[in-house]
Amino acid sequence: MGTAVLGAICGMLGSFAVLRKQSLLGDAISHAALPGIAIAFLITGVKDSNIFLLGALVSGLLGTFWIRSITKKTHLKSDTALGLTLSLFFGFGMLLLTFIQKQPNASQAGLDTYLFGQAATLLEKDVWLIAIVAGISLLILFIFWKEFKILLFDEDYTKTLGFNTRFIDVLITTFIVITIVLGLQTVGVILMSAMLLAPAAAARQWTNSLGIMVILAAIFGAFSGVVGTGISTVSGNLSTGPVIVLVAASIVLFSFIFSPNRGLLFREIRFRKNRNNIKMHKTLAFMYGIAKTHQNISHPHAIKILNGFQGFSKKSLQELVDLNYVKIDGQQWSMTQEGYQTAENLYDQQIKKSDE
Amino acid sequence: MNSAQIIIQIIIALVAIACAIPGTFLVLRKMSLISDAISHSILLGIVIGFFIVEDIASPLLIVLAALAGIVTVILVEYIQKTGLVKEDTAIGLVFPALFSIGVILIAKNANDVHLDIDSVMVGDLSFAPFDLLQINCIEGVPDSCINLGPKAIWVIGTILVITLTLLITFFKELKVSTFDAGLAAALGFSPIIMHYGLMTVSSITIVGAFDAVGPILVVALMIAPAATAYLMTKDLKKMLMLSCFLGVFAAISGYWLAHVLDASIAGSMTTVLAILFLLVYEPIITSALVSISIAIAFFFYQYYQELLVHGVNFEHLPLGEKIHTVFSKFILLDFIYCIGMAVSLAGFLIYILPKRGVIYGYYKVQQQKTEIMLLVFLLHIRNHEEESERHVKHLNEHINWQRLRSKTIVDLALKNNMVTIDDSIISLTDKGEEFTEKAIDYIITNKDAEIEEMKDDFFLFRG
Repeated sequence: MGTAVLGAICGMLGSFAVLRKQSLLGDAISHAALPGIAIAFLITGVKDSNIFLLGALVSGLLGTFWIRSITKKTHLKSDTALGLTLSLFFGFGMLLLTFIQKQPNASQAGLDTYLFGQAATLLEKDVWLIAIVAGISLLILFIFWKEFKILLFDEDYTKTLGFNTRFIDVLITTFIVITIVLGLQTVGVILMSAMLLAPAAAARQWTNSLGIMVILAAIFGAFSGVVGTGISTVSGNLSTGPVIVLVAASIVLFSFIFSPNRGLLFREIRFRKNRNNIKMHKTLAFMYGIAKTHQNISHPHAIKILNGFQGFSKKSLQELVDLNYVKIDGQQWSMTQEGYQTAENLYDQQIKKSDE
Repeated sequence: MNSAQIIIQIIIALVAIACAIPGTFLVLRKMSLISDAISHSILLGIVIGFFIVEDIASPLLIVLAALAGIVTVILVEYIQKTGLVKEDTAIGLVFPALFSIGVILIAKNANDVHLDIDSVMVGDLSFAPFDLLQINCIEGVPDSCINLGPKAIWVIGTILVITLTLLITFFKELKVSTFDAGLAAALGFSPIIMHYGLMTVSSITIVGAFDAVGPILVVALMIAPAATAYLMTKDLKKMLMLSCFLGVFAAISGYWLAHVLDASIAGSMTTVLAILFLLVYEPIITSALVSISIAIAFFFYQYYQELLVHGVNFEHLPLGEKIHTVFSKFILLDFIYCIGMAVSLAGFLIYILPKRGVIYGYYKVQQQKTEIMLLVFLLHIRNHEEESERHVKHLNEHINWQRLRSKTIVDLALKNNMVTIDDSIISLTDKGEEFTEKAIDYIITNKDAEIEEMKDDFFLFRG
């Protein structure tokens, strides 16, 4: 249940991250949250997931702003900034974790579940927390829908319209960070980025509209959460995070291949179709060239002369016959009136098209 | 320092250099995050290799791991080429998927063997010196091996030698293809070969460094020194040198930090790297923060020791309580002392920093003032034909300068052969004429293109 809600909210907010080309922000933030967790533990000395979340949130936000200021102030590119934040924060977190582990204190065990995540550790309380955050972000999403959308696609225009772009920006980033921090406990640091990305990337293949994309991404996310948790409980002994990610990845793969407009399969089919079409037209044009030299356009010719002509194949000839442009009689072919006219207009059409 | 410590330091220094070289190119090519992706997905290679040979130390593991890294790169490229998603999304999709497969494979099949995720993900150096490479062993005969020293040094050393050889051989090609892929292609080096060559080297380096520092910290070692160096210089050779140097510095000082804190070497190396980057990026704030934390840590340690000796029941307190108790020992003066130290350091830095410091700023302002004055002076001379206007004394009242200042300006102009003084009458030389002409042109048109040229001219006056 918790993973479903989490998947849904990840999908929703992930759509924004993907469209803003900040896909790997999730990865960076989830790593950056580690020192926050460690510091929260160091300060309080108790294992309370709420305090951990708070610490993670703070250091996650810190990481985000660090990334932003690095890309803004220096000539370092965003990928470097992301990589820096990710590795440096995580390294610092590692230092703190190993430091904590050396301390004579029994309650430190279990901090590393945050590295890989275990949905089984989710309590009812946590699910409620996730649900509440999901609700709030849904509400915000509705209220600021217009602003988010316009910021996404044309930032300068937004500015000229008088919106406070910085505020909107910070708002949406904050919600992404909150989601990531919540997700850490379930799927872990390393796989959180996939949680954010995969549903959105899959949804992107099916639609060009932002609204539908967000809804689809939410559905995909929830689906992979449920199925992943299901598989991991049934087969036992598997951590939930990787399974969820794999389910989400298969959805992405499926979308890549089968989506009607952008999918690879349909693209390949369209590509083949076009190629055959061109082949057929080429053959027709060649025939037209031959037929023109004769008084009677239906004068039969041997099929053999077509051999060696590029674009000619049995298939394209058959297609021409099917279209009733050409008649075949044994080893001879002859053009029909219809075929002659089509061929005559073939190049005219192309000229007209290029005029347009 | 015993020999094991020296060996560890040698190993991490080698790792740092081996990482810094490909890292520099990754940063320049805007592909830093590929290293992150590779470092995660080699897990899959290691796991598969482990299932084949059932031996954690086999070299096949390294080969397969490097192969997994290259497969990641190819997959990312392929997904990107379909045009369905952007490059970063492609990276973000590929490596978690491969990583998940690796984790699941481990969980499913390798429960009872010595291969757990933690050991793969964290990396440990402490035992590296004792893992010796021994050859020529005769079965059953003790002491028959020829001891070649720690294995890790050999592995990393080989990788480093290969990397360096490739770097020196193909430096020109790499440089061109990094900064101008189109030109490189036109000159006849295949950018694709360069790309995959670099990727292969990075992938092998990551795998080699993996044992020592763990995957995420490999990313830190690759990106952070290069990024820091990139902030400091724009020359590729200098950048390479600097990033190697920074890497080694962070490695050695990180080792000692780890020694003091009794924490993981990799973690403290990264922390040093972070501090280095911040120092270059935001010197004043960072140095203040660092000095505050060092001062607090110093006091903390003192009170901690004191409490350990005298404190009742102190050792059995939970960690948070402990920290709390120690801090409650702090008195106001301590905090004041810490902050005072930081403020004085920051203040000092504000003054002496090149480019951003106050002293430099003041110097620059003075410099510019003189330049402007000279310009005004020259323009004035040029505009007035009458001798009365060009008399030395007249300048004092007319342009409203103090005597001393006007004298320095005139001297400066004289020194640069801009003017000649005849009988206290100043007149422009040819050079001065030309310069003034140019300056006026510049002021009137004020186009960006001319600024650079003018700046060169102004250097005449400096010093």
